[in-house]
Amino acid sequence: MNPETVFTFTCPVKTNSGNKALENLPIELSGLNAGKPLIVTSIGKVGRNAIRTLTGAFGDSGMTLGVFDGLPDKVDPALIEQLRTTIIEGKYDSVISLGGGTIVDSAKILNLAVSLKTTDVRSLSAQTPVNRNLLPLVVVLTANATGLETSQQATLNGTVLSSEYLAPVLVVIDPRLTRGKEGKIIYATGLAALGRALEAHIGAGKNPFREAYSFAAIRFIRENLPAAVRNPDDKKTTLAVLNAAAMSGCAFSGTDASPLHKLGQVFQEVYNIHPGIIMGMCLPHILGDYLHQGGHDLSSLLQPLTGDDDFTQTPEDQRAGATVSVLNRFMADLYSVLGKDVPQTLKEPGVPRYVMEDILDVLDADPDGVYLRAVVGRIWDKTPVAEKKG
Amino acid sequence: MGLVDVVRAGRKPFKRAYVAVFLWFTGRAIQAAAKVDEQVRREFDSLPDDFTFSLGVLPDGPWMLIGKDKGRVKYLGGNPGGRRIYIRLAMKNIETAFLILSFRESTALATARNRLITEGEVPHALAMIRVMDIVEVYLLPKMIARLAIKRYPSWTPGRKVFGRIGIYTRVLLGI
Repeated sequence: MNPETVFTFTCPVKTNSGNKALENLPIELSGLNAGKPLIVTSIGKVGRNAIRTLTGAFGDSGMTLGVFDGLPDKVDPALIEQLRTTIIEGKYDSVISLGGGTIVDSAKILNLAVSLKTTDVRSLSAQTPVNRNLLPLVVVLTANATGLETSQQATLNGTVLSSEYLAPVLVVIDPRLTRGKEGKIIYATGLAALGRALEAHIGAGKNPFREAYSFAAIRFIRENLPAAVRNPDDKKTTLAVLNAAAMSGCAFSGTDASPLHKLGQVFQEVYNIHPGIIMGMCLPHILGDYLHQGGHDLSSLLQPLTGDDDFTQTPEDQRAGATVSVLNRFMADLYSVLGKDVPQTLKEPGVPRYVMEDILDVLDADPDGVYLRAVVGRIWDKTPVAEKKG
Repeated sequence: MGLVDVVRAGRKPFKRAYVAVFLWFTGRAIQAAAKVDEQVRREFDSLPDDFTFSLGVLPDGPWMLIGKDKGRVKYLGGNPGGRRIYIRLAMKNIETAFLILSFRESTALATARNRLITEGEVPHALAMIRVMDIVEVYLLPKMIARLAIKRYPSWTPGRKVFGRIGIYTRVLLGI
């Protein structure tokens, strides 16, 4: 990295992580001049206990909270407009989003609609200027995150809105909420974080700040994801995976949309499948392609993926190849832990043909459409990576 | 019922009561230690004549106030009452206070974990931390005090036993 390179990096997200991190919310909010937050979440996705834990953390604060727990799987403009009216009439002064993925997208769009005084949410588009501070948005992560929660993006039914003001001001990662019911939930979260962090680490326009976030995210995943998948009830390792997810979002914010991210997003929007599952399927193929094409600094991934000793012991000209081998072994190990719980090809979850056609139509509209279609073809019924082990 | 459930934040009366009693007892113990222990007396001698220190929980207490009045160290209750506070050591919430005051996290660890807010000059704050560490050594059995402070001091048995008797007696009598 040439220190004279011109670059810009913004990460406006403060992080509160660890034991009793939730209990800091009242004082953090008062520091943001907020005293009456609206909590938005989906009870079906996060569960009643998570909502109870969050509201319980406000104990002795004297605050009044609004709780809406009925967010759907997709951002619903009509519902957002109703919630906007509720925020204005109820004089709520901040938004807390409990959960990950589309829950946070809904919270970001809601925050935008309130702050920009937008009555018609459908009118929000990628061209909508977002150039001033919005209401304080706090994201409380749960096990089923995607990493995009801390990013400067929000997706409104296929349209990507991007502005540094869309990023939350605070992300809270508390071990009481990071534990997953099943290994596959943590697996999907971890793979989404790994995919975005890997692409941020080698993507165009590298800068040392972005590299610091992506390096830490990759290393956290390498050191903690296998154990978290084996025991999704473990506070320590699941907390580390969620930290990696938060860091990957910050790293990703300064990166151009990459093939892995695009594929994950398309499948999430069209078929409501966690982007981490798709990114896990695509990761070995895309990195393999990068290796053959050259042009991507794969060797720089070896250090966060293996550790300092293995990195220094590998000759410089073999590091790129070693990176792909290490990653394939890592994926094979994860698949061997999860067995049939996680699909390794698109055929396994039984994506219907008409859905596949919709997905391919969306991919066709992308400048990288031809390549993305080719990758989808390879993960449709390709030999699972686990069977290649050894 | 509307679209949104309106929830009033609950109370934590047990933890609040525990913290209030602990702060009350510690406040009286600091007043007593300033009379009984030479090191505590020297620490207070180095502080301004109208020095006031408060320790408590955000957002609304409980609090403990210690102040110097004509050279004497006094426990001033829980209400600052318009006094100028030199040092304010605030625990961010009642859960944090309970973690620290039930000795599950030492003051040093809690500070490292950003659980405390210090307002005032750092040398004054450090002097008060040293005073509280000494008081905890007097008040608590070694096994528990080791959890609360950074390093357990090696005092003579005489200092520990006579100091402990003196402080407990003064705390209970309020002198």
